[in-house]
Amino acid sequence: MTSSPESDRAAARQAAAPMAAVSRRRFLKTALLGTAGLAVVAGGTFAVLRRSPVDGMPVPDGIRHLSHSEYHLFRRAAEVLLPVAGTPLTALQEVPVVAYIDAMIGMLPAHLRKDVGAGLALFDNAAVVSGWHGRRFVDLDDAAAVAYFDRWSTGNVIQRTMNAVIKQFVYVSYWRDPKTWPPVEFDGPVSDRWGIAYLGNAPLPDESALPQTGAQTVESRP
Amino acid sequence: MSDTADRIDTVEMPREGLAVVQASDISSERLELSADVVIIGSGAGGAVSAYELARRGLDVLVLEAGPYVPSKDFTEDFTESLETLYEDHGGQANTDGDLLVLQGRCVGGSTVVNGCVSFRTPDFIFEEWHRDYGLTDFTPESMAPYFERVERNLSIQENRPHEIARHSMVLSEGARKLGWSVKPFKRNIRECALTGHCLSGCKTERKQSMLVTYLPWAAAHGARIHSDTRVDKVLTENGRAVGVEGRVVDRTGRHVADIRVTAPRVIMAAGAVQTPVILQRSGLGNDQVGRNFACHPSFYVGARYPQPIHPWRGAMLGVYVDEFMHPDKGGFVLEVGGLGIAELCMINEPGTGKPFVEYMQNAPHMAGIVTLIHDHNVGEIRWQGDHKAIHYQLSDKDFPSMMASLKAAVRMHLAAGAEEVFLPSSEALSVTREADIDRQVDKLVNKPQHLRMVSYHPQGSCRMGTDPAHSACDPQGRLRGVEGVYVADASLLPSSLIVNPQVTVYALANYVADRVT
Ligand SMILES: Cc1cc2nc3c(=O)[nH]c(=O)nc-3n(C[C@H](O)[C@H](O)[C@H](O)COP(=O)(O)OP(=O)(O)OC[C@H]3O[C@@H](n4cnc5c(N)ncnc54)[C@H](O)[C@@H]3O)c2cc1C
Repeated sequence: MTSSPESDRAAARQAAAPMAAVSRRRFLKTALLGTAGLAVVAGGTFAVLRRSPVDGMPVPDGIRHLSHSEYHLFRRAAEVLLPVAGTPLTALQEVPVVAYIDAMIGMLPAHLRKDVGAGLALFDNAAVVSGWHGRRFVDLDDAAAVAYFDRWSTGNVIQRTMNAVIKQFVYVSYWRDPKTWPPVEFDGPVSDRWGIAYLGNAPLPDESALPQTGAQTVESRP
Repeated sequence: MSDTADRIDTVEMPREGLAVVQASDISSERLELSADVVIIGSGAGGAVSAYELARRGLDVLVLEAGPYVPSKDFTEDFTESLETLYEDHGGQANTDGDLLVLQGRCVGGSTVVNGCVSFRTPDFIFEEWHRDYGLTDFTPESMAPYFERVERNLSIQENRPHEIARHSMVLSEGARKLGWSVKPFKRNIRECALTGHCLSGCKTERKQSMLVTYLPWAAAHGARIHSDTRVDKVLTENGRAVGVEGRVVDRTGRHVADIRVTAPRVIMAAGAVQTPVILQRSGLGNDQVGRNFACHPSFYVGARYPQPIHPWRGAMLGVYVDEFMHPDKGGFVLEVGGLGIAELCMINEPGTGKPFVEYMQNAPHMAGIVTLIHDHNVGEIRWQGDHKAIHYQLSDKDFPSMMASLKAAVRMHLAAGAEEVFLPSSEALSVTREADIDRQVDKLVNKPQHLRMVSYHPQGSCRMGTDPAHSACDPQGRLRGVEGVYVADASLLPSSLIVNPQVTVYALANYVADRVT
């Protein structure tokens, strides 16, 4: 896995940038009063929502920042969002997508991390009522999961935001891995590979050859 | 003050690199410095001011919040570059979260990561400045010597044929078929190596950014540069600037030292988001500080072509369409721009699952157009007590030009032979035939999180003008209400430029530096 704290932090910030809209106040105002959050409002808490078979499944060692349900949500989202089997693109198993996401999530500042967590929980649980799937996102079959994403892409502001945030985490985590580049002929870094010479600093300007612009006289400190 | 011409013969210029005091060089918890002039920020405005004042013999100190990253350390990995070279790790956004506001945050500022496009201020913008802001001293003629200085200093020249990459050739053809005016860009670059990695910093120092031009020149004339040094406040006594205070923070976020600088002149060049924030934190300036923010909200309109294009190969920016530049003709510019794989997977919403995979499989067949509009100054930058906020929503007044620019970009793609043009929205919308352009684009509405916008050009948050009720600075760049504080960055622009602003900022910074007393 090629990942550094530098690129994790940047990728996380980019993917989470739409979260700027999702303040707690807006969550209550927009999401919880919309269809997506009806179940949450009715039950008072996410805890009342459907249990899923994935609740009993383990999370691999090495996942440090994603909660159990967040891990499974991203694992399922990656399968749904990147159906690369049968294409020339690099197989999903060869790219540690969720591990990248885990590292990126760990780099988010606390307030953003909290909002992303709340948004993810909403996305997973709201599938029970949003679209009347009766199941959490992690348990939807492929077609229903695709339909669910598509519905959120045209929904209210929180739904559009979470659609973008989850997709961006997954996409960036896959495409940042150099193993994914050869099938699309992306060249990646080239200067060293091509042996391009460094030019160094530009020489000092020859002031006598430049147009002069009439500076004021300025006193230097005594 | 010493004579300029004499000094040039005697100054020493390093062949490469820059002498910068970094957080790792600081051993005490408190730093007390003094200078004739302290400059906040080392980007377009800060670097030009530093050189112009240092060569005139002033003791110049430049304080830069970002790190010093020598060119050799640039990785050409966009995701990583966002972290090391950009403000907020590339995640700086408006409060609605649907507009990324990109800015450089490193020694050299945004000039290190910009696309090299170089325009003079359009004549009709100067006319607008006369008419609306009383800025009669700014004319194409009066500013010509400033433009010429920076153009020569930064090797600005028109793209030659080999600098027009495939994406630009294909799209030029589209524009020509439509009978639209299309021109090669001018860029500040020497011997472009055609890597396509401009936005990650130019590793082999061909981009004539401040990092390899004005900053080393300023240093050669004695200017001192401190990186990792974030200024929080401008200090004043009896209505006069007396210096600044801030913090030295290393790359891991560790607070290394407090810094206080005594100086009778302070030049604000922290960019159009940070300059008003620092002034607000300092309680300086009138109620115009932070208002009138504009940013050229842009779309990247991507399309798939039958033939391979490889949008990451060749010079990143080749040609532009100026057919609609004048506000009477639409008030927008179309620029053909390359991009890499990380950006490609984030800019469009081609649909979930299979459509996305197909879209990415076709990555080598993609090309894109960046739209720039002459937006009104409707935004506001505010320090909220513990964080900055960029309040900017696309105004209903600007929405029609945004849509007009999008329709024109789609038409140009289709005329160039594109098979499918993707609309930059949160839902999957695309156009495959000219007859569908209006129907598809008209589905877009001006609501938060519906459009995918990015700004590369924050401007205007401390605008200059003759009327104190409507401007934060006077026509010489002096902040109103306090002596000795100047603004010399993109904050100063009274209205959005419509074209890429770096050359205007260089020229204005030179203009303001000339007027520093
Ligand atoms: C990705 C990108 C592409 C672009 N492409 C083009 C292009 O092709 N052509 C063009 O004309 N323009 C382009 N621009 C815009 C252009 O670079 C800017 O308009 C110009 O650099 C603005 O100059 P400035 O001095 O206002 O700010 P900047 O150049 O951004 O410099 C501001 C500096 O101040 C520092 N700073 C901020 N806060 C503090 C603080 N509190 N204390 C100390 N220092 C601080 C910042 O870290 C930064 O280095 C691009 C910008 C970006 C981000």
